[in-house]
Amino acid sequence: MTDLAQSLIDALALGGLFALIAIGVALVYTVMGMMNFAQGEFIMLPAYALYVLAGLPFGVAVCAALATGVAIAVLAERVAFRPVRNADLAAQLVTSLAVATILQNAVSASVDARAQSVAAPELLSESSQIGSLSIPNLEILTLALTVIVLGGLGWLLYRTRIGLEMRAAAENFEMARLLGVRANRVIAIAFAISGALAAMVGVLIVMQTGQVSPTMGLTPVLVGFIAVVIGGFGRISGAVVGGLVLGALSSLLGTYLPDGLVPFRDAIVFSIPVAILIVRPQGLLGSATGEARI
Amino acid sequence: MNGRGLRSRASAATSLVVPLVLVALTAVVGASGTPSLEGTVTLILCNLIIVLGLQIFIGNSGVYSFGQLGFAATGAYVAALLTIPATFTLLQTAELPKLIADAELDPLLSTLIAAVASGLLAGVVGWPLMRTSTLAIPISTFAFLIVAYNVLANWDPITGGSSGLVSIPRTTDVASAGLWAGVAVVVALVFKWSASGYRLQASREDEVAARSIGIGVMRERLIAFTISGVLCGIGGALAVHQSGTLSPVTFYFAASVTTITMLVVGGTRSVLGAVVGTLAVATVNELLRNLEEGASVLGLISIGAAPGLAAVGLGLILLVTMIARPEGLVGGREAGEIGPIRRRLRPRAPSTSPTVAATDQAGPRPARGSAGSLRAEGVSLAFSGLHVLRGVDLALPPGEALGLIGPNGAGKTTLVNVLSGFQAPDSGSVFLDGVDVTSWSPARLARAGLGRTFQAALPFAGLTVMESVAVGAMGVGVGRRRAVAIAADVLERLGLGDQAQSPAGLQPPGSQRLLGIARALATGPHYLLLDEPAAGLNDEERRELVAILREVIRDFDCAILLIEHDMNVVMDLCSQVQVLDDGRTVAVGSPEEVQAHPAVVEAYLGASYVASAHA
Repeated sequence: MTDLAQSLIDALALGGLFALIAIGVALVYTVMGMMNFAQGEFIMLPAYALYVLAGLPFGVAVCAALATGVAIAVLAERVAFRPVRNADLAAQLVTSLAVATILQNAVSASVDARAQSVAAPELLSESSQIGSLSIPNLEILTLALTVIVLGGLGWLLYRTRIGLEMRAAAENFEMARLLGVRANRVIAIAFAISGALAAMVGVLIVMQTGQVSPTMGLTPVLVGFIAVVIGGFGRISGAVVGGLVLGALSSLLGTYLPDGLVPFRDAIVFSIPVAILIVRPQGLLGSATGEARI
Repeated sequence: MNGRGLRSRASAATSLVVPLVLVALTAVVGASGTPSLEGTVTLILCNLIIVLGLQIFIGNSGVYSFGQLGFAATGAYVAALLTIPATFTLLQTAELPKLIADAELDPLLSTLIAAVASGLLAGVVGWPLMRTSTLAIPISTFAFLIVAYNVLANWDPITGGSSGLVSIPRTTDVASAGLWAGVAVVVALVFKWSASGYRLQASREDEVAARSIGIGVMRERLIAFTISGVLCGIGGALAVHQSGTLSPVTFYFAASVTTITMLVVGGTRSVLGAVVGTLAVATVNELLRNLEEGASVLGLISIGAAPGLAAVGLGLILLVTMIARPEGLVGGREAGEIGPIRRRLRPRAPSTSPTVAATDQAGPRPARGSAGSLRAEGVSLAFSGLHVLRGVDLALPPGEALGLIGPNGAGKTTLVNVLSGFQAPDSGSVFLDGVDVTSWSPARLARAGLGRTFQAALPFAGLTVMESVAVGAMGVGVGRRRAVAIAADVLERLGLGDQAQSPAGLQPPGSQRLLGIARALATGPHYLLLDEPAAGLNDEERRELVAILREVIRDFDCAILLIEHDMNVVMDLCSQVQVLDDGRTVAVGSPEEVQAHPAVVEAYLGASYVASAHA
């Protein structure tokens, strides 16, 4: 019983992390219609900020990481993605692949291509005893952040003017523009939020794995993509569900797969969503028409 | 093939010869250089084979796959395991079946087996992957790449795990790589110019229009995906026999980015683009790699060794291409289609006699059931509570023209979508010659003799006029040669014969509408559904359209369902008119009867008809 509860909490925590990744991908997709390969690098660069600023107080380093995430996302939008805003999905995807390649290899060239270790603060590597359960503090933090982000995002999208503009842009970009929504501002804000979310994810991943590497964003970005696709293209609620499902699946497979198959966990985790897509091409929550909705 | 064909013989020959010459020149440069240059050039030629594999799928389908390198990896592992001397194989792979472990095959044989293995894998993996939506394919193929990597890196007893394989015989030289690259060029062009290639390109230009002319988009994608897998497997097998070592990262993400950059920089849509892009990017890449190892500029600034710098350069090249020249260096054209060359190669004036008599295609059709007609019975449909169709009946007998009129929002287009399989009704049925076809796909209906056009012209913009009509016939399974003859005849009848070799996307709006009709006619329909074909035409064009449609009914033995707002067109052409209002049939009858029907006058005709009748 305790084992089961423990693995459910693990599953929920990984699901929360994956949901945070997916929201970052989905936000940009709903507002701009772009699947952003560079989201993985928006995760990786803030993680490197932690590595570079390892000597500073942890709080300061985390703030710097968040700033890095926001800055790189906004900069990438301005320099690379704005010129291809009206191109088709494939062209935008390839453009973001270019940005990802540049950022990833710039880090390889300037820091090192190999992984570097980063120490987590003691508080985060300890566990808390709740009843008979011992829950890692990092999982508690991840779950708390997921709840806060979901609440905050809900408030932003449904209770503020900019949120209304973002939803309008997601519904019909041209119409929103005609009605006076400032497209550049809405898109820049979507990227800024997406960058901040990616930075949070980057910090959480570093705390968990204790290391940074230039390619550390690759698996998360695929996680985000798949979560968005199985959740139903371009719905933020769908991305959250997709992330939770994928994370829970991954965590539970890690616990319950026979030993011989554990190394193939990723292969199994990434194959199942494709099976879902064959049965439901529009995703779990998607509408048959497949239009973007927040 | 003369000027009526898809392209002139000279243009085709140029398109084939130029990339082959480029490949040959590259191989010669490699062969005449140092051994290290020869090795580099050999690997570039192997890369070219993979890039041509990417071109076959990405270029023709317009859908990006990030998973093709997984097939290159498959080919590489198969070829390596089949050729590593038995004693070394056992050291590296504990549980490899003895048959494979002992195998020390000839390099050619191992390459062929690798091609078959990667093609089989591509077919098996592609079957589910191609079933995902156009939006999801890039992501599901990316997932496949990661899955393939995960398996190769962790299946230690078979693949040697993350440390990979060594002691692979280095048998690929620049000549064999060049020969295979030449074969790959021919394969890519032959596929592009095959009926299957054209069907896939049509789906790239407009997926909806492609389905309306009988193209099974998934099937065509799977064919290209599989052929692409074969070429990628060959490229991987040859490359591993050049380098002598192999690890799971050899054909992983970085290699995917490199090959996609090569294709995109040259231009995805043409084989020439794949060749030019590969050579251009590889050259720059080699220069950057030299820089990576450390260099000094004018003895002043010294640049330290910085692995990753070449990849940054690659990323920048890709980024600049996407922003400044997304169609790539050669703009998606083959050598025989490029401006100055094309002018010199212009085909001689077309012969005046149609290649195929009209009777040939209007000839005997498969026997129709006694209930020969297109019928809808009690069709209802609601979109999230909004009732668009409420129990509509419709009957279109063979050889008749039925006008479908009604105010905006009456449900006319939705009804046509239901009849043509683009929209499943909530209730009710559609019968084609007595067969219940309610659940049939648009493509299947098209192959069964139901053609349609759309309110928007939906041209296959990247194809020529001739190609975009011929692909209509290819869509329903007609062979390429006969499809060209049918298209030439249809174009002649519609007065578009002169435009045959110009791009479909550059036609004026009136011609684009006719082109939509021509494309549907090329499928040889028994029933043709036209959604506002006269919209945007001037008076003279409208008169011509009516004359053409009369001829279609007579010569092609084809019934027409016509949605049209221009009452003159409807009254001129149609023997029967059905009026829809708010999803219900208000009246059916001859134009005169309908005209006099009080409900119709009230619901629809009103002042606008009176005005046009007096015009």
